[in-house]
Amino acid sequence: MFKHRKKQEKRHRTGEIPTGSFSDIAFLLIIYFLVATTLVKVKSISADLPTGEKQSDAAVDKTPIVNLRGSKMYFSDKEVTLDNLNARLAALKLSEQSPDKRVIMLESTKMTSYESYFQALAAISSNGGVVAIVEEDE
Amino acid sequence: MKSSRKKKRRKVQVPIASMGDIAFLLIIFFMLLSEFSKDKDLSIDLPLSDQVKKTEVVVAARVAMASDGAIYFDGDRVDSAKDIEWGVRALLSKTVADEQRHVQFKCDASLPKETFEPVLKAIAEGGGIIEAVGEDK
Repeated sequence: MFKHRKKQEKRHRTGEIPTGSFSDIAFLLIIYFLVATTLVKVKSISADLPTGEKQSDAAVDKTPIVNLRGSKMYFSDKEVTLDNLNARLAALKLSEQSPDKRVIMLESTKMTSYESYFQALAAISSNGGVVAIVEEDE
Repeated sequence: MKSSRKKKRRKVQVPIASMGDIAFLLIIFFMLLSEFSKDKDLSIDLPLSDQVKKTEVVVAARVAMASDGAIYFDGDRVDSAKDIEWGVRALLSKTVADEQRHVQFKCDASLPKETFEPVLKAIAEGGGIIEAVGEDK
């Protein structure tokens, strides 16, 4: 009797893998990732720093220079605020100039914080200037 | 003459056999396209500026400097700025287009120049265009 029932069960087996719930699992996974994901879009400024050797002193003299001394900011040796610097750089119309005339030198003292350095960098870049970092002579 | 036949109700079946395939395709698509943030746990206080913009550029590498001065290249800690230069140079050795030369730079606002400037120079020497990350004022 028992053997007979077993035989009957075997006859009904088709050997198929039940895949009906696969879509449910997949959609659950999608929903999980959608809920758990945080999309981050960072805000930044773009600066292509030129590399190479130091220019001759005559060429350097003509180039506008931004000096950062502690929390103070100077543009061509005159103290300026950040808004002032933006206005002075905008007046130069750097984006209309040839590439070699777009260069603005950036000089800073050792203890200048990244905050003020970043603000000067942002001002120069957003006005179409190319930042050239001035290295201290050792 | 009224027909005595009752209208047969049609059984409407929505074909859902391919739903699983579509769902798995979506998962694979998102898995391939998503990028995990590697510098999420670093303590970085970003500088403020009203000139920062949302950028659409794809960055080739990510450089971060935490508040303790530690340097990270693509999430891995490195010893010096020289490692950054070599890393960027190696990544960009076959790159010609400017759009593929962007390197993201995250740095703590309080760090002094002598700490961050060598790293900025290293990125430039390696051929990268710096994408300095900041926050809107």
